[in-house]
Amino acid sequence: MPPFSRLLIANRGEIAIRVIRACRELGISPVSVHSDADVNALHVHLADASERIGPPAPRESYLAIDAVIAAAVRSGAEAIHPGYGFLSENSEFARAVEVAGLVWVGPPPATLESLGNKLAARRAAQAAGVPIVAGTTMALTDDPRELEAIGFPLMLKASAGGGGRGMRRVDSPGEVADALVAARREALSAFGDGTVYAERLLAPVRHIEVQLLGDRHGRLAVLGERDCSIQRRHQKLVEESPSPAIGPSTREALFDSARRVAGTVDFHNAATVEFLLDAASNHYFLEMNTRLQVEHGVTELVTGVDLVAWQIRVAAGQPLPDAVMHASSRGHAIEVRLYAEDPYNDFQPSTGSITAWQMPAGPGVRVDAGVGADTDLPPEYDPLLAKLMVHAGDRPAAVDRLRRALDETVIGGVQTDAGFLRWLVDDASFVNGAYDTGLIAERWGIDHGLPEDQRALAATAAIAVRAASEVAPRHATDRTRAGSAWADLARREAMR
Amino acid sequence: MTGDLEIRIEDESVTPAEGWRFEMIDPARGFGRLVNGAASVPVLVEGSAGDWVVTLHGRRIPVTVRSWRERMLVGAETAATGRAGRAAGKATLPGLILTVAVSVGDTIDEGGTLLTIEAMKMQNDVRAPRSGRVIEVAVRPGETVTTGTLLIRLE
Repeated sequence: MPPFSRLLIANRGEIAIRVIRACRELGISPVSVHSDADVNALHVHLADASERIGPPAPRESYLAIDAVIAAAVRSGAEAIHPGYGFLSENSEFARAVEVAGLVWVGPPPATLESLGNKLAARRAAQAAGVPIVAGTTMALTDDPRELEAIGFPLMLKASAGGGGRGMRRVDSPGEVADALVAARREALSAFGDGTVYAERLLAPVRHIEVQLLGDRHGRLAVLGERDCSIQRRHQKLVEESPSPAIGPSTREALFDSARRVAGTVDFHNAATVEFLLDAASNHYFLEMNTRLQVEHGVTELVTGVDLVAWQIRVAAGQPLPDAVMHASSRGHAIEVRLYAEDPYNDFQPSTGSITAWQMPAGPGVRVDAGVGADTDLPPEYDPLLAKLMVHAGDRPAAVDRLRRALDETVIGGVQTDAGFLRWLVDDASFVNGAYDTGLIAERWGIDHGLPEDQRALAATAAIAVRAASEVAPRHATDRTRAGSAWADLARREAMR
Repeated sequence: MTGDLEIRIEDESVTPAEGWRFEMIDPARGFGRLVNGAASVPVLVEGSAGDWVVTLHGRRIPVTVRSWRERMLVGAETAATGRAGRAAGKATLPGLILTVAVSVGDTIDEGGTLLTIEAMKMQNDVRAPRSGRVIEVAVRPGETVTTGTLLIRLE
């Protein structure tokens, strides 16, 4: 029997579609929500029904608690899945869901509240015997000696931030005063709380997270780790499991720390505990996120556990079975994120409309996409287009499979990071698994001249299509012009 | 008839790759592949007339492909709407004026279409590379112009 008859997904894009698919497999009727910018979005078409929640601006739609709750009540949903981002870690929203008599697919609201305070989470982890990055455990005052005692370079972080947002690097004592003012101002405007703390900047370092799944009966499954060290702007682009950087003893130490951090809160549902790992394999707690992660699919591929389905079952009160509790990791999985971003221009977001969309398939390939051909990309939202995941028997085979899958990938209309990803799978440090969070800055760099051979190939393609378009009917639109020309050319050739 | 076409990428003249050939697979999307007998590379070609974007290994590469007549026309466009000061635009090739998009007194934004000329069976928009006020329109739609005909004067 399905855990719920109807479930509302308070999100958009690929993650809304991921939850819709889980609902279908569980026999639940999925309901989506949409802003005015998403009337024709893919997630709307795949749900059984969709409720309008407001104008394009996230604050007035996907972040509007009252509008989302009203949509859920209107649609007859029994539960709400928040996806990631938007309202997924908002304790006020989680409470409102419960007040409305609906089931919240997430941890208790009080847990969201306590983990949302990164500084308090840092203190709790330390008290539980988990190593934390050297730095302050109380809100910073204006006394510069606090920072000088930590040493430089260091990072200022917003206590209400997380996920790579609200961070500022400070390299020397002279920068402290200005950096503090700026960090507090940014934190206040972005998170409504100007509290900041400081951590010593560790480098070289890897970013490794442990996947947890807990039920309402006190059972906690540890479902392996993911290495998320390839980042731009402190945000992840590539994730893999298992981490190529750790052996059994470090892995067990990470799992033990993750269990200890989870033990500091009343927790059920899916969660991730994030750590930094230094060159000597020491690990340091960063933060705990009690929601589905973007990169959850990597864990699903190696463990065979459907994390989204279990989130929903656990929310309905089902206990985790032994098959989930003792799920082992098999083979190697890698995810790359396809973003509408320009890697040749500092990964700046690009907007527009997708004209061509060819995704890879075949053995060991999974694509979770939120867009398709002819999708307009609303500028209001995250530029994530799709997640391309591969699974193979071991890491070298997974890298080969990823390279093959990227070669099958064709996206037209907007610049994406696909070119960077294709470069990455040939980069020696990635192929060897010997990379750290500095890879993009140190190896991809900023100078991206177009190689001679690529110029010549681009010229070959352009002149061929132009030559064929000389026979194009006049007044054709840009989109169809080349196409009609080819059709004309084919007809002429056939008549010869 | 590609003999007089010039290919430019990042403002440099480029020669096509020797031994490579383009095959169209999906004309509606401009999707095809480059082959040389030993290897193949998927490629997307979008655009029309002289301006194309070729997506190769995930990178969007703007490519212009122009005949010498089109290059002359671009020269005329630049002359008509030079970066600074008053400028007179004269046709540098014979052609048919299809439409005139501006009138005297209009203020035109940078990139706005001034008029459309048909030459070599191709329609070409003459665009304003800077903002300015139109002080004279010397041609009408349907009019055939010869080399040296004054087209539009910008303040």
